[in-house]
Amino acid sequence: MTRHGSLRVVAQVAIFAIVMFAFISPASAIPAFARKYSLRCTACHESWPVLNDFGRNFRDNGYQLRLGRDDTVTADPGYWPVAIHVAPSYVYKKVTNQATDQGNKDLGSGGVADAGMDLLTAGVLTPNISFLVVPTGFASNGNVHLESYWAYFSRLIKNSDWFNVRVGQFEIDLPASSHRNLELTDSFLLYAYHPSVPGGTNLAGYDMGANQRGVEIVGHDANSLTRYTATIFTAHDSLGSANGFDSPSFYGHLQKYFRFNDGPVSQAEVGLWGALANYPTQYLTNGGVPIAGSGSHLQSSTRYGMEANIWFGPLAAPLHLDLVYGHGSDKKDLFQGTADRSGSFNGGFLEAIWVPRADLMHWSVFGRYDLIRNQTQPLSTAPSNFNDQNQWTVGAVYTIAYSIRDEVALHAEISSDKAKGVGYGGLDQRTDSIMFGVDFVY
Amino acid sequence: MFYRVAQSILLLVGALLAGSAVAANTGDVKTGKLVYERYCLSCHGAQGNGQGEAAEYMSIKPRDYRQGTYKWRSTPSGSLPLDSDLEHTLLNGLYGTYMPTWRALDERSRRDVIAYIKTFSPRFGTEKPQDPIIIPPDPGYSVASVARGDAVYKKYNCAQCHGAGGQGDGPSAHELKDDWGNGLVPYDLTKGHVKCGDKSTDIYRVFMSGLAGTPMPTFADSLSPVDAWDLVHFIQSLSPLYAKNMASGETGGAR
Ligand code: HEC
Ligand code: HEC
Repeated sequence: MTRHGSLRVVAQVAIFAIVMFAFISPASAIPAFARKYSLRCTACHESWPVLNDFGRNFRDNGYQLRLGRDDTVTADPGYWPVAIHVAPSYVYKKVTNQATDQGNKDLGSGGVADAGMDLLTAGVLTPNISFLVVPTGFASNGNVHLESYWAYFSRLIKNSDWFNVRVGQFEIDLPASSHRNLELTDSFLLYAYHPSVPGGTNLAGYDMGANQRGVEIVGHDANSLTRYTATIFTAHDSLGSANGFDSPSFYGHLQKYFRFNDGPVSQAEVGLWGALANYPTQYLTNGGVPIAGSGSHLQSSTRYGMEANIWFGPLAAPLHLDLVYGHGSDKKDLFQGTADRSGSFNGGFLEAIWVPRADLMHWSVFGRYDLIRNQTQPLSTAPSNFNDQNQWTVGAVYTIAYSIRDEVALHAEISSDKAKGVGYGGLDQRTDSIMFGVDFVY
Repeated sequence: MFYRVAQSILLLVGALLAGSAVAANTGDVKTGKLVYERYCLSCHGAQGNGQGEAAEYMSIKPRDYRQGTYKWRSTPSGSLPLDSDLEHTLLNGLYGTYMPTWRALDERSRRDVIAYIKTFSPRFGTEKPQDPIIIPPDPGYSVASVARGDAVYKKYNCAQCHGAGGQGDGPSAHELKDDWGNGLVPYDLTKGHVKCGDKSTDIYRVFMSGLAGTPMPTFADSLSPVDAWDLVHFIQSLSPLYAKNMASGETGGAR
């Protein structure tokens, strides 16, 4: 960024901040669960939207507190299970070595990002059936669609917490949720990364963090300190798949939490996870378009790894570190003849969330470092570090107001992402972002 | 870059460790305040007076902590509760009210928040809780014991408030108020969930220690332990839920 450029950015941020502050007035409507149970966001969220222990247990229990006022009949009659979430923000983004028809360019641009609105509706139908539906895409140029929707059948066998079933479209139970993370300018590299061939294709393009359609079995102990999930799903965007179980993909996750009654560490967690996604590599077409359900010759894209979390200080205001490692490989045939072998990589991230011991948990500071290192390039002649990536994100959230009905927070963040050899003429590409926004739910 | 990130993380950890040296066993009041603000404030209020922002909309009001008056105790009538009584309430929640169970929190957070809520009442500084009442072992549920319990229920006129059928509709039921001036209804014994725990010992302690701050009296002076256990079994017999659990050999109610 030139000095002139950075001055422009500062001016834009300042104007945006003034406009935002002018518009913030106490919201009066209601986040669904907070209102239903008269709890503040902080009860379930370590720092919104990251879940804490109480929130995880609440979710595992099918969004129930189980004290006789969960379902539609026993809940407060005024309860209407809808909340909205919007995060208007200013984003400045700069990309280097961008290939364009006019040659190699460095591009920078900033503006108020076209925010979407999430409408969240979730609740309890009967003591054993809960639901969630999230229409999204209420953006000026978007199409409203359902980001996720599911029904959760809890305690199906002998009223046991060890067997619950979720059906619909939902995020698989990843080590750190990519729908409930604090970072807004960057996504988890490990979840979305696929080995690639310069200029080639890869049929497997799914992002583990995106919502997938399928069936999930969830089991947990009373406090969700030991839990597992097993999911069978159809990976999004798989060509020629009927979105049924003709090209099933599998995911599993096992977690155990440990608590310490004394000393600086209050809690730790370890987990194992793995995904095996299957993609048809041959299918019938009509007018060049793959016909759903005609796919065959399944090839796999596998991911597996481990995770560790540790919480320093009191869980009410912790320093929370989350380390996730994964190994991934995509089969040769997924590259449709552009690769001469299967590709593999190692990756992961280290995330830190710190909630200072301030009154009312107003602040949280967070950062994440993501790393991708290719192990085997699918094209043996490609540079061994082609598309290796490094990314970091640092940010802070200041919550202006919490109540049982709404939450308004200011959010500032910077991030930088470097990818080897993917820019113009095989040069490295770097993307820097700076973001300042207001995040509100009610 | 990486080293700088790592360095700042180490610094943060160091700062936190320095700030969080907590003595074992007794809760830490300062940390308890954070726990309270995170979880309890919306109902019990910043001053601990039970007037959090949500209280207005509740028919059963959150506890005002300032008097040190707690309903569910193992200690005799008039006494402060033990920490373990408060812990029991936090673990269990209060069924049918807005008070959730805080079982999913870690033990430390509960210990700290208990230390903190006690600071709202000066009584904890000047008085000591009395020794807990002695609860002899449950002699066991039987038809004969239920029949004897029915007689005890009549003899001590529980029906005055709880109604002849135990449905909380006795002659006095509608005029009852608690110490804070809020109206309250006697428990419907046929519902199968007492507010604070479904074990037979939880029911026993209700009428042997009384629910302080409410018209629900203690019968410790007049009831013998044998009568008391018969009464527990009678109460259990009124609810289909308990009957089901007795049959399947479980000690608690359904959760
Ligand atoms: C959603 C509202 C709500 C929240 C949040 C809440 N409580 Fe309560 N609490 C209540 C209500 C209502 C009662 C009174 C119930 C009754 O008297 O029947 C109560 C009663 C209590 C009692 C009194 C029990 C007795 O023996 O009299 C204690 C102790 C208590 N709460 C502790 C806590 C603690 C600690 C937290 C936070 C970790 C908390 N509560 C959070 C609503 C809440
Ligand atoms: C003066 C009226 C009155 C009398 C007499 C009375 N109760 Fe109660 N009882 C109450 C009220 C009011 C409550 C509800 C208190 C609350 O929830 O805050 C209650 C609650 C209870 C509960 C439920 C406690 C819980 O944890 O939810 C039981 C069990 C109970 N009473 C048993 C008895 C028995 C047995 C007798 C007779 C030996 C009796 N009561 C006599 C007024 C009375």
